[in-house]
Amino acid sequence: MTKQEQVKAIFIEEAGEIIEKLDIDILRFEENSSDFDLLNEIFRGVHTLKGNANAFGFTRLGEFVHHFEDVLDHYRSTKEDVEEHHLELFVGSVDIIKEVMTCELDVLPDLPDGYAECLEKIKVLIASKKNIPILVVVETAGEPLPDLASEFGFGCPEQMEDVVEKSIHSHQAMKEEGLNLYRIDLTLDSDSYKRGFDHLVFLNLLGEKAKSLESFFDMENVKMLDQFAGDENAITRVSAILLTPQTKDEVAENFEFLFDHEYAITPIEAEEIPQTDEIIVAATAKPKKEAVKPSSDTPTASLNAPKSTIRIDTFKLDELFDSVGELVIAQNFIAQNEEIRSIEDESIRRSIETLSKITKKIQDRVMSLRMVAIRDTFDKMKRVVRDTSKKTGKELHLVVNGEETEIDKTMIDSLSDPLIHIIRNAIDHGLESDNAERVKVGKRAEGTITLRAFHKSGSIVISVSDDGRGINKEKVFNKAIERGIITGDENLTDSQIFGLIMQPGFSTADTISDLSGRGVGLDVVKTSIEKLRGKIEIESKEGQGTTFSMVLPLTLAIIDGMLVQTAGEIYIIPTLSVVESFRPEREIVHALKGQGEFISMRGQHIPVVRLSDVFELSTQRIEPWEGILVCVETEAGRIAIMVDELVGRQQVVIKPLGKSLAKLKEITGGAILGSGDIALILNVDELRPLIEAPSSGN
Amino acid sequence: MQFDGDVLTIGLDMSMEEIREFEQFIRPRLEYLDTIEIEEGGTLRSSSLLSLLVSLKRTRPELKIPFLERGMTTSGVYGTLHWMCHD
Repeated sequence: MTKQEQVKAIFIEEAGEIIEKLDIDILRFEENSSDFDLLNEIFRGVHTLKGNANAFGFTRLGEFVHHFEDVLDHYRSTKEDVEEHHLELFVGSVDIIKEVMTCELDVLPDLPDGYAECLEKIKVLIASKKNIPILVVVETAGEPLPDLASEFGFGCPEQMEDVVEKSIHSHQAMKEEGLNLYRIDLTLDSDSYKRGFDHLVFLNLLGEKAKSLESFFDMENVKMLDQFAGDENAITRVSAILLTPQTKDEVAENFEFLFDHEYAITPIEAEEIPQTDEIIVAATAKPKKEAVKPSSDTPTASLNAPKSTIRIDTFKLDELFDSVGELVIAQNFIAQNEEIRSIEDESIRRSIETLSKITKKIQDRVMSLRMVAIRDTFDKMKRVVRDTSKKTGKELHLVVNGEETEIDKTMIDSLSDPLIHIIRNAIDHGLESDNAERVKVGKRAEGTITLRAFHKSGSIVISVSDDGRGINKEKVFNKAIERGIITGDENLTDSQIFGLIMQPGFSTADTISDLSGRGVGLDVVKTSIEKLRGKIEIESKEGQGTTFSMVLPLTLAIIDGMLVQTAGEIYIIPTLSVVESFRPEREIVHALKGQGEFISMRGQHIPVVRLSDVFELSTQRIEPWEGILVCVETEAGRIAIMVDELVGRQQVVIKPLGKSLAKLKEITGGAILGSGDIALILNVDELRPLIEAPSSGN
Repeated sequence: MQFDGDVLTIGLDMSMEEIREFEQFIRPRLEYLDTIEIEEGGTLRSSSLLSLLVSLKRTRPELKIPFLERGMTTSGVYGTLHWMCHD
């Protein structure tokens, strides 16, 4: 990668972060539009984005954010209240920025739909704030205009000079300290278009810095079509009245490529003229507030401030984490080495203890580098909730808990899509279709969606709850039979029945109405979460609501595992799946021909899976009541893994397997134990892929 | 540019090249047109388009060009723009 490409890659990453933050901040500002600190923050982000976009030739993005920045700058410097419909424009602008960024990155020739419209609205807004009269063409089309415009239309006898004079008088009344008033006359030669000069180009340049700009085109010499030459300028004169903070020389710079006879700039002094009805003032313009002096929160100051963070490639973090993993293994090896332990030397013992503590501390700190609060992800979900709420027309209240809960950065990136899907499902299909339906059953008209994150037994749980109609268990069960997902003979818990809605093919267009859409794409969500070594649990009470809980490991690099031994080999069962472990009573163990062994416990029949059989280990066959059963929850139901003994519980660094072992679906990875031995991590879902438990009877 | 029956709808933000194409398109069709409408949301990019519209109106006065008849347009970029035809 060349230096230029590296810099560009950094820009793209930074721009992505800025836009992501904008998306969140703009919603916060929508909630509290008097938070001008936040508006400053948004402005700074947009300002940085503009500079970077232009530096890398992303001119379409640069142009858009340039005008958006103007609007933000106006509000932050005047502290003027932002009108509600303008807040909508702000939110819409961030959407456009996101889309334009994609267009720029993918080098797409077309701009996103709504780009021009949104940009025009921004320009109109800023024009109104600069006291340039606003005419919304759409709204006034075809209507006669009660202002100067009507005097210039077809059939108007007034001379151009008169109306220019009127405009000058109007602008003199608007003149204030720090502003200069000029009359500019453009008399471009007929070949000006061929030379690349157009009146509008100059007006646009003047408009960039103008407080007000009004121009008058003399069309007298435009010929009829048979004599008309489109590439020749037929506009003999354009007079513009400009109110600007620029000096005459600065204004003249705009015309430096014109011939001297093609332009004239005349400064106009202020004149005390009482305001008359003819003064054109934007209908939407608000009274100006005292300008706020730029302070330390200006972009320049911000950019020059010392930074307290540095940017590190996550690949380097992964490398660091791997190295620390090796360190932990080496430290465990020393700590558990029998020969070292047999040395009766207090200083060696203390040194090993110190090494162990330091290693643990380093491991924790390196781990924390990968951990980020889930706040940003939740903030993004606020937008999803807002948009889905608007789209469905359902009024709802969002409750967010546990935003500070930290989660592995790698997982955060993969979590957004499943979370968005579940939230949309909860709003669209979980909540009742209208307020009346809710009120009828004694609920508040406004629905509630609750987003929570919390730690539970060494895992992280992210849940989405709705207080809607809940899932009809019976209908799900019957539908699953109809779809051939289950036979109907299975003995399923409530959670397993609800889990059926996440099976591929459960929900289709003709699904029963009150469940419609519940299964659409949920199988994809389930797969995504399982890729993160997590699982989804569903709880629902009909009429009260539904909760989807994503149970995830703290990190993808380390797993909390239960170490078990069978036939002299150590295996690791992810503790996330473990329900309980015990030595069974002989009475609860049964065997059926063709069905294998199972245990009856608390009304459930749980199949027994001998680990030694799964991996074809040669060992003396013992009875289940002579061994240990570890009950685990799998996607196909609960199973009891039979092992010889429990070794302990330990956090292990996951190591990828080689190609030959990777084909074994019963194993997800490996780990090096303190003894230096290798242990395989079990994929419990593959230990028993089908529901085979007998329906009843022993 | 959209042609729907007697009404031709054009965008204001045509480039010089597009204006020339529009001119070539409309010259042989001027007699059949009833109205020229302007798409919403555009911003005038070239005074050449304004000249062409004035020329069309001058050539066929019964042609309706509501935009031109308003005598002015506004934009956040170039403020208020008036045109005077002396007709």
